[in-house]
Amino acid sequence: MNIDAWIEFAEGPLFGITFLVLVLGLGRQILLQLYFLGVKKGRRLKRVPWKDITRETLGWAVPIRHIEPGTGLFSTSSYVMHVGLLVIPVFLVDHVVLWESFLGIGLPAIGKGTADILTLLTIGCGLLLLGLRIFRARHRLVSRPSDYVLLLLVLLPFLSGYLASHPAVNPCPWNVMMLTHVLSGELLFVVTPFTKLAHVVLFFFDRISAVHWQLRPGAGDRVAEALYGEEVKI
Amino acid sequence: MPTTAVPQNQAHAGSPERRVFPYHVLERPDDRLVDRFLEAFARVLEYTDYKPLLDTYCRSTAKCNRCAVACPILLASGDPRDIPCYRTNLLLDTYRRYFTLDGWVRSRFTKPFELTEEVIDEMGDVFYRCTVCRRCTRSCPLGFDHGLITRLGRYLLSLVGVVPKALQVSVQEQLQGETHNTSKVSRAGLLDVLSFLSEEMEDALGVELQFPTDRTDRDYVFFCAVSDYLMEPDTLMGNAAVLYAAGDWDRWTIGLCNYDGINYGLFYSDWHLENIIKQLVSEVERLRGRNILIGECGHASRAAHDFIPTFMGKRAPRVMNFMEYTLDCLRAGKIRLDPDVITERVTYHDPCNLARSGWIVDQPREILRSFVHDYVDMTPKGADNYCCGGGGGLVSIDELHDFRMEVAGKIKAEQIARTGADIVVAPCANCKKQLKELVEHYELPCTVMGLHDLVLKAIEIPGGKSPAERKEEAALFAV
Repeated sequence: MNIDAWIEFAEGPLFGITFLVLVLGLGRQILLQLYFLGVKKGRRLKRVPWKDITRETLGWAVPIRHIEPGTGLFSTSSYVMHVGLLVIPVFLVDHVVLWESFLGIGLPAIGKGTADILTLLTIGCGLLLLGLRIFRARHRLVSRPSDYVLLLLVLLPFLSGYLASHPAVNPCPWNVMMLTHVLSGELLFVVTPFTKLAHVVLFFFDRISAVHWQLRPGAGDRVAEALYGEEVKI
Repeated sequence: MPTTAVPQNQAHAGSPERRVFPYHVLERPDDRLVDRFLEAFARVLEYTDYKPLLDTYCRSTAKCNRCAVACPILLASGDPRDIPCYRTNLLLDTYRRYFTLDGWVRSRFTKPFELTEEVIDEMGDVFYRCTVCRRCTRSCPLGFDHGLITRLGRYLLSLVGVVPKALQVSVQEQLQGETHNTSKVSRAGLLDVLSFLSEEMEDALGVELQFPTDRTDRDYVFFCAVSDYLMEPDTLMGNAAVLYAAGDWDRWTIGLCNYDGINYGLFYSDWHLENIIKQLVSEVERLRGRNILIGECGHASRAAHDFIPTFMGKRAPRVMNFMEYTLDCLRAGKIRLDPDVITERVTYHDPCNLARSGWIVDQPREILRSFVHDYVDMTPKGADNYCCGGGGGLVSIDELHDFRMEVAGKIKAEQIARTGADIVVAPCANCKKQLKELVEHYELPCTVMGLHDLVLKAIEIPGGKSPAERKEEAALFAV
């Protein structure tokens, strides 16, 4: 099978399968959260402060509010990268065509020039964040190998996509770069539900700690009894 | 994450060297510590609702380090082990490794995280360097509640006997002792204090009154931090003065079987939290009281306000903080505060347990602004305030005094100094103790007091001496 056939396979059946994994995997994460809320509701759950949670979540979409001394570089680069991560895969003109043919959904497309700038910014900001993780001791301390690998993986479709669409700077044959682009994007689809990238849907549910603070009645006594038996000692 | 890569020899900012379980536990746990910790963890996961929380956090923790700028302890210490995300990950790593399929699979392919006595030792250390003020939660782009995880970590540690003895001994007395309160104040001792307060109020305010004890069918059953009866007479007299001036003297009572609002369970144990709540509600039910009125204490207010509905369901009486009651009286015109008595510059410290959730932020400011001319706010304030440095039970742990002064309270001291205030109002027993020590330690030219200490000076008492008269008398007495 030659490379072009591989591209056809990757853009066809493989795309369908990996996209399904993404949707089902993330759907499972959302269902688990809703199931938990349902279980809690059966245990005297007070009101869930949806309004506060939504306001807080949306509040983070306005980055200026949250920039504090010492966070400027991180917040700006992280914000720009996230804008790129959300906008390019969905609204790039080539992707819009793909979505239309695959899902039958017509979406507005952003201009080629805007897309190029945003892509470069996304890659640049991602590399900056990687640099922070590598060179700042505090970032390094909280990082595991997967934090570095996932960041690179996220940037790979952007880099390969940009190179594939700009022959002047592309060192490889077009079809090799294109295959890299498609496969790396699909790899991202597959790993997202099973890694920290799942925060793409969990970011909202991470904020329901007001629900988690509503502890289960009687649980403390049951834990103590199971551990200490009759000999309950404080 | 390679936990063992943490620089073990790094000196603490507040203590010169690392010690094993530095917080003076009653007994050093036995050798089966790791096994017992994991067993306790398993039982907690079985009977509580923490599993979904841990699953969610494990799955989505981005470890972006954004929280690092929010923590006043980290800002002062510079010790990377104080990064909220780092602390949280100690527990998440343990959970992931021993209780998830993901962790098991990873352990087959990579060098797995291993829970050792050193890791538990580190948890015992870092979970008690945190004041559980939850400021970092507001700084986390994902909204992670690091305070909740710290508290869970402390709960697990307590189940294997790693708990500061200052907290443990207090809870033992409260739940299993004769006095049922954390300061061992006997019923006779309480009645003595109340009689003393009556005499003091008669001298100062010029009205005769007896504190109502064990009265049934009252609207309000009053609980304060029991230590207030020993250490904060002015706060209590301020509370009493409001009730008297508002004409509510026949509507409240203090129970004689249980009069302590303190709930250290909020700091480290679900088990104790619930049982102390039950004890408190039983007292209200014994007296057939309708509402619970909590004095000036942040954690007691939050424990009662948030957890009585959680644990008691339909049996839950309504909970009010005293400042809410005072504001209601002020708005209804039931009390009057003389605006000419307080001439000093006043600032207000937001106790984390009252303000972080946004529950009590504007109420005390409205009270203060009604009679204080020169009121200044701290920056930041309200839900974004800095902790006093004694939260989460740290203020009760004498062994942590140096840490609380040099590290945990450093940012707060600087913040107070910037306001140029003469009086710092802190409506919380814990905050007051910590701030008084801080003011002394940093030699700040100000006085720390409760909100009702100030109200006591300015309140107009029907049939009693006027605030101006009382101020003159106090000045004479001071000379």
